[in-house]
Amino acid sequence: MSTAILSLHNIGKIFETEELETHALKSINLIINKGDYVSISGPSGCGKSTLLSIMGLLDVSSSGEYFIEGVNVTDLSLDDAAEVRNAKIGFIFQSFNLIDELSVFDNVALPLRYHADKPNNATIKKRVTECLEKVALSHRISHKPNQLSGGQQQRVAIARALVANPAVLLVDEPTGNLDSKSGDQVMDVLDQLNKAGTTICMVTHDPRYADMARTKVQLLDGTILQSPAIKIAS
Amino acid sequence: MNLFIYQLKQAYLSLKQKPIFVLSVVSTMGITLGALLCVLTLAYVMLIKPLPYPDQERLYNVEHQLISNENAIDGRAFTYPNLMHLYNKQSLFEQSVLMYVDGDVITSLPSEPMVALSFVSPQWFSLFSAKMALGRGFEASEKVNSYNPVAVLSYETWQNKFDGTANVLEQNLTLGGNSYRIIGVLAASNIEAPLAGAGFKTELYLPWDYNSVSERERKRWGNDDGGLIFVGKLDKKYSGYSKQKIDQILTRLVSDNWQSEVAGHAFFKDWSIALQTKTLKSFIVSDGERSVYLLLIGALGLLLIACANIANLFVSRTVERQQQLAISAAVGASKTQIFHNILAETGLLMFVAIVLAQFIIFIGFSALQYYLGDFLPRIDELELNSFSFSISTLLLVLLTVVFSLLCRKMINYHALNTTLQSSGKGSGIQVSKRVRNILISSQIAIATTLVFINVVLYKDASELVNQPLGYQTENITSVVLALPSVEKGLQVQKINELKSELLAHPKVKNVSQAMRPTGFGTLALTASITEQRYTVLGKDVDEQYFNMLEQEIIAGENFSAADIKDDSSVMIVNDVFAKKLAPNGSAIGFKFKNGVEIIGVVNSINVPGRQRIESRFYYPASLARNMLLIEQHQGQVFSRDEMITALKKVDRKLSLFSFTSLNEYKNQRLFSSQTTAVTTLVLAILTLFLSGLGLYGILNYSSQMRRSEIGTRMAIGAKGKDIVGLVIKDNAGALVIGLAVSFVVLLVLYLSFSDSLSAYINLELLPLFMLTMGAIALLSSLACYIPLRQFIKKPVIHSLKGSE
Repeated sequence: MSTAILSLHNIGKIFETEELETHALKSINLIINKGDYVSISGPSGCGKSTLLSIMGLLDVSSSGEYFIEGVNVTDLSLDDAAEVRNAKIGFIFQSFNLIDELSVFDNVALPLRYHADKPNNATIKKRVTECLEKVALSHRISHKPNQLSGGQQQRVAIARALVANPAVLLVDEPTGNLDSKSGDQVMDVLDQLNKAGTTICMVTHDPRYADMARTKVQLLDGTILQSPAIKIAS
Repeated sequence: MNLFIYQLKQAYLSLKQKPIFVLSVVSTMGITLGALLCVLTLAYVMLIKPLPYPDQERLYNVEHQLISNENAIDGRAFTYPNLMHLYNKQSLFEQSVLMYVDGDVITSLPSEPMVALSFVSPQWFSLFSAKMALGRGFEASEKVNSYNPVAVLSYETWQNKFDGTANVLEQNLTLGGNSYRIIGVLAASNIEAPLAGAGFKTELYLPWDYNSVSERERKRWGNDDGGLIFVGKLDKKYSGYSKQKIDQILTRLVSDNWQSEVAGHAFFKDWSIALQTKTLKSFIVSDGERSVYLLLIGALGLLLIACANIANLFVSRTVERQQQLAISAAVGASKTQIFHNILAETGLLMFVAIVLAQFIIFIGFSALQYYLGDFLPRIDELELNSFSFSISTLLLVLLTVVFSLLCRKMINYHALNTTLQSSGKGSGIQVSKRVRNILISSQIAIATTLVFINVVLYKDASELVNQPLGYQTENITSVVLALPSVEKGLQVQKINELKSELLAHPKVKNVSQAMRPTGFGTLALTASITEQRYTVLGKDVDEQYFNMLEQEIIAGENFSAADIKDDSSVMIVNDVFAKKLAPNGSAIGFKFKNGVEIIGVVNSINVPGRQRIESRFYYPASLARNMLLIEQHQGQVFSRDEMITALKKVDRKLSLFSFTSLNEYKNQRLFSSQTTAVTTLVLAILTLFLSGLGLYGILNYSSQMRRSEIGTRMAIGAKGKDIVGLVIKDNAGALVIGLAVSFVVLLVLYLSFSDSLSAYINLELLPLFMLTMGAIALLSSLACYIPLRQFIKKPVIHSLKGSE
């Protein structure tokens, strides 16, 4: 029996200004199980990134309920949300979001520095080395991000996302800032990670990469278009 | 023009969105510029503006110097005969004026008010172009030695003492037993030359002949008197003469005559006289010039700190406007147009600040006139004038250009053009980390140094204000009587009658025959056995004095009524003098050469506003003493009018010279310390406020630059406290450097000026310095925390989106 990692029930998101209400998401129901590889795609402004932000606890929903590994995380405080993000979620951003002043090692180690278990330096070193080996960048451990290519930077970001053993990787347009060759390399890494058991949820508008996922979710105007492959939360 | 108005409108709309920024800039610059403009106008009035008298550049004051046989200046005041000789014999001045200032009671008025008097020769009125509201000034009929008993009132005296009555010229007034006919009233617009000091305002003008210098003193060639003043208008035909030549001519005129007059006095052998002229303007400004320069330095220092802090806010603001400026650049705004955009916003802010400054100037002028009117001359002439308007305009333009150029310098126009395409990578607006750290360190160093100096001065002043005086001031009034010249026995009888009258009054609890507790004279005493000489402060008191003032007698006994009556050869000393006389034993029984014996020791009192306690002694007061202390029952107020009624009941010739409560004396003496305490406290708070603003500006900018990093860290699990800790840790180095620099600056200051500063700075102040550093560190932490609130108090997506 599959285990639900992420479970969204009737999630809605409204952006309000003084004069206007925009319904970015409307009654989103979605379950992502352990080991899934889900792609979310759709036209610009359909709510892909908003949905990913809510799934990653970077933003809060306006309505509905959200569960991570069966725990209701809808109304967590900012600090509790940070703790859940650190322990359960690994992020990969379109623009890599590496910290320029830190070395590759320190960038990758960053989630462990904020981890509730406060791992010691030896543990951190071991985990960082393992993760960099997974993305074939252990030889660049002392470099600064600006000494790496775009593809290498994104692979460092993948290593950082993996280092705290998250339950799921949330990936936002991972190839958006890369050339096609580097993009392919990054997608290969993600594919291998999923095959090794890592749960991945990826936002992309590139149909080629969306097809690499085993489950495809199409969003349009804040609503999931029905698809036989989608698991809808009941 | 249309574009200029459009840019101003845009600037207004943009600033409307940033009320805290606007408030910070406008309030800081408004207050600072207001203070600066106030002081600049004061400096203009005192140092540059011509005196409001005709031919003011030809007006001179003459100083009379008495030079001892050791070639030291023994006195800087005229002797009466020398002054008269100069007045009668000189020919350098086409007009000359004699003036003598004093105070007396107008006994012909029911309230018997004390008034400030100026005895002047007739040309005073024409020399200073005195404007009359009624009647005339003194003329030839009041020339020296004419003894014409007439009087001229100041406008305020007319209004306040004579109710502004139209028939005042038909009235007479009586002072010191003489009756004077009122012949004129000066106009309200008349500006009195402050010849007798800044605080002296003449209320009544009397002819020179009636000045209060006694007939005996008028003939003494060796006794100088600080109340004698000479002012002359240099004859046009001598205007080419150098000051040195004028001084030589005048000196020769007076000195030759003086030498022949004192030839028979051995004391004045090898003594000499020198006359020194000063332009009237520099004579009037005198020591005030130093005060004005000090105020100017203070105001410029404040402007410097304010500008440094506001510059930081502008840096931060420019970073915030990056997107707006980038869009302008993207749609074709040229570098110059972007600068004009910045110029419009900065100009608008500076304009509002200058408008606020005008209100501050208005308040500042009133405050200066109220608080410093007694210390600085010509302060009555302060007003918003063309000078203050011109300087305001100049500052408006200068500050607008400087702040706009600073913002423009930060902008890399090329990078700005590409900002919109680079997803936040790279910025068109940059200040390096090194510069940011230097700004933080310098800010902290300045703030710590200034706050510490102000806190030390505040501590010193507040200790003076709050120090226990060692005597009672509540419900006690000090009274000085103006007594007619009668023989001593009759005077004693009248005073005794007055004391009985006062003691019978239901509001009066006790009466002591003594001067106010802080009034002492200096006397020389010689010990009878050791022949050691002591110069000590002494005063005469009666047997009621110590009980009334609750000044404790700690050894021996008080004066008895018999001691006072018999004028016994006894004295009471304070504990400081007692310790000096008998360091290891009792001073009771100690005798002086004049036969006086110490019978008691009292606790020392603190003179309000002074730290040092000196040796003092008390001796029996004469029963004819014209000074009283009146203690009132709790909750009762014995008024001046009631005092006058009591006086008149005893004898209509008795009048009241002064009537002041001990609390009023105390407050007068503490005024300077209280002003220092308030000023330093306000400056310390202002410095903290300005530094807080400055640090906020830098750190807000720094936080904006790190927005992406902060968002990323929070996305991967950093909590709010982690981010705050990170930013504080990153800025700790700059903070420590700033604190260290301030410590070094204070140390250098102390080592360089240890003689002057040893009274203020010592090791005991180390905890205070630590406290100051703690306050600055707390302020810095707050300045770190506040800009981060926009990130850590909102969902992470706000930081991440902002960085994109």
